[in-house]
Amino acid sequence: MSKTGIVELLEAGLKAEALRQRAVANNVANLQTPGYRRLDVKFEELLANAMESGEEIDTDELGPELYQPKNTAVNPNGNDVNLENEVGQLVKNSFRHKAFIRILSKKYSQIDQAINLNR
Amino acid sequence: MRIENGFGPIDIAVSGLRAQNKQMEVISSNIANARTTDAGKGEPYRRLEAVLKTQKDDISGVEVQKISQDTSDFSKILDPGNPEADENGYVQMPNVSLPVEMMNMSLATRTYQANAAVLRRYQQLVDTTLELLR
Repeated sequence: MSKTGIVELLEAGLKAEALRQRAVANNVANLQTPGYRRLDVKFEELLANAMESGEEIDTDELGPELYQPKNTAVNPNGNDVNLENEVGQLVKNSFRHKAFIRILSKKYSQIDQAINLNR
Repeated sequence: MRIENGFGPIDIAVSGLRAQNKQMEVISSNIANARTTDAGKGEPYRRLEAVLKTQKDDISGVEVQKISQDTSDFSKILDPGNPEADENGYVQMPNVSLPVEMMNMSLATRTYQANAAVLRRYQQLVDTTLELLR
């Protein structure tokens, strides 16, 4: 069965957002931890690469990846978390989350309409 | 495939918040050291200033390019009892002027608030679009 339906893709996106939310929470919690490097989530690039390869996308294999960016400015205590940055990430994340959830609910209401067509 | 994150105003507003945050740090350093007569090198504290720069040529955010020293002259006050005083009883004081710092602090605060306001407004704007998806 094809795994590239709208619902599967949205599910993969939502999973990525959930992980990103956790990464941001973790970063904010470690705002003052000496030597802590912030966590970020890589997903959009992976999805774009998968789509570009032309092969069928298996959303089970295409998961979000945690990574630590190495090009960020580090404080004297070796920490690179910036509260403003994390707030920005959080806002962007909530936009994506809202969009995905709403499209998903649209999709389900379509299915619902189809099922209840003869009522 | 190029990934455009599409939420540009957020990154720009965040860069503004970060720059003003740094500005505030510089100002607090200046105020804390307003009467520091020894900053090493046999000189009093030299006032610092954050130099802001655009991130790129096009529409862009802001970043702190460098923290540079204010090269204006130190002030001298007469205080013969001070162990740092010279033979005439004068002490070299930092080139920090508190009224100027207070003014810069108000400016930094307002700019920070303005950037936060942009962030909030943009959030409302995108929410309006997302409402259409309901």
